Amino acid sequence: MIKAIKKNAFLIWTLLPAILFLLGFFSVIVFYLVKLAFTHYEAGMATSMGIQNFIEMAESKEFKEAFLRTFYFVIFATPLQLLTGMVTAMLVNKKFLGRGVVRSVFLLPLAIPTIVTTSILLLMFSQGGHISSLLLGQYSFFPKVVNTEIAFISKEPLAIGLSIFGKVWRDTPISMLILLAGLQAISEDQYEAAKTMGASSIQNFFYITLPSMLPAISSVLVLRSIEAWKEFIFPYILAPTFPVLGVLIEKYYIQLQNPSMSAAIGMILIVVILVGTFLLNKLLKYLNNLLVKA
Amino acid sequence: MRKKWTVQKTIWFFMIILSLVLVLLPIYIMFKYSISDRASWITGGQYPVPWFPFKPNLDMYRYYLSDTRFWANAFLSIKVALLTVTLSTLIGAPAAYALARFKFNGKAVLLVLILSIRLIPDISAVIPVATIFTNSFLYHLPIELKVALSHTILGLPYVVYIAQGVFETIPVDLEEQVMIMGGSKLYAFTRVILPLAVPGLAAGAIYVFLLSWNEFIFSYFITSTTSASVLPLPVYLRSVFGAFTPSPVSVATLSLIVSLPVIVFTFIIQKYMIAGSTAGAVK
Repeated sequence: MIKAIKKNAFLIWTLLPAILFLLGFFSVIVFYLVKLAFTHYEAGMATSMGIQNFIEMAESKEFKEAFLRTFYFVIFATPLQLLTGMVTAMLVNKKFLGRGVVRSVFLLPLAIPTIVTTSILLLMFSQGGHISSLLLGQYSFFPKVVNTEIAFISKEPLAIGLSIFGKVWRDTPISMLILLAGLQAISEDQYEAAKTMGASSIQNFFYITLPSMLPAISSVLVLRSIEAWKEFIFPYILAPTFPVLGVLIEKYYIQLQNPSMSAAIGMILIVVILVGTFLLNKLLKYLNNLLVKA
Repeated sequence: MRKKWTVQKTIWFFMIILSLVLVLLPIYIMFKYSISDRASWITGGQYPVPWFPFKPNLDMYRYYLSDTRFWANAFLSIKVALLTVTLSTLIGAPAAYALARFKFNGKAVLLVLILSIRLIPDISAVIPVATIFTNSFLYHLPIELKVALSHTILGLPYVVYIAQGVFETIPVDLEEQVMIMGGSKLYAFTRVILPLAVPGLAAGAIYVFLLSWNEFIFSYFITSTTSASVLPLPVYLRSVFGAFTPSPVSVATLSLIVSLPVIVFTFIIQKYMIAGSTAGAVK
């Protein structure tokens, strides 16, 4: 035993700190999340153990609404990020003068702290801000769209839409990079061959680019949908009165001082992400088979 | 044939311009507000907000850069970020070296552990983490250490991932030669491999520094449950624009001050930033 330890001393000393740190926090997170979720609090005191939190949650209108909002957030933000990522990736996939600069500029949103992005959006879409002036037709180059000022933050579809816009704006570079790697893996020969057979660029896109990109597209959809499910900052700042699940967690934990309820939502969120990702994978497999057969 | 190519090129050019505007406009607006005078943002609906301030000035920058409260928060952010970098590099780099060089039992388990801790959503993981920092003996730790420990949970997997790639690029022959000449594994690691790995590790360190500098969820939950008086910059920024009537100029100025170091560093380590943000998608 001691011999074995001595022999592997170097390995143990290099690995042990990392294992202890990760294992420690991992067990703390899992243990307390489950423990809190199954403890019921009344007036800041733990009263009983059980699934009462989950029953309360299932009956509350607030939770159902938050769940639906999160769902909308996911089904709009995920495909949108695929689209914007695809467009920007195809734009910089071409060789042109200043390509490096353009690509760096496209990466800029990634370099700006998320909280700063929300603050800029808040400024732009606030009352008396640029977007208001624009929609009221106060700038000569833009037609008048509305007669009275819109309060973006206080109308549900607009507030959620604004947070989706922020999320897409910030995370497009990530989708772009994944898709760009996919695009660059397609060999030029395929396009050359298609060209000799007289294929148009639209045919090129649908019969060469898209099928070869399927793995990259799938990974963008899966990764981005996971990120969208757990989104917190954008809806928290831009749609505070219309909470998604993440914002509900903050509300219970910090404002209502009810950690057990927020832990219950946190657990539900993890389950939802697992189920959502599983279903999305099924769907992608099904679509893939469909496309390959055709 | 020739004409078609031109149409395509025009569309492509138009899309490039449109995308550039969409990316740069919000950043420009932030800059514009930060140097605005009062008449350029209180319009009372009489005239549109100008695209460039009437009387640009740097008053708000002067205010913040001489504000002791701002500097206290900035120093906290720097302290937290440096602690996070130190912790994740000290713990992560040796582990990454072992992962890159040796075959051992339980290697797969360790990789799964690294991944699974990142699979828990931040907003769920923050509940137990904030709870143990307020309700256990860990309550007495200084605030910067609490926040840095939570940021290390996020940073450590990245350091291991980036450092493993760095070590794999260094030829094994170097260690073998050290061993032949009678040096120990430890000697080979600290005297030969580490110096060679420094540039790559530094990039990983900057990445983790930025991660900690930008982080909001953990900083916010931990500082607001312990009612800290000094806040990390993102949380401080949130408290500024969460005020009853926030001035766009102070929000924009603070936002810009917080983002500037990040933008500068990001361009320095762009290559590694890409590796970090697409980690998991490629492998």
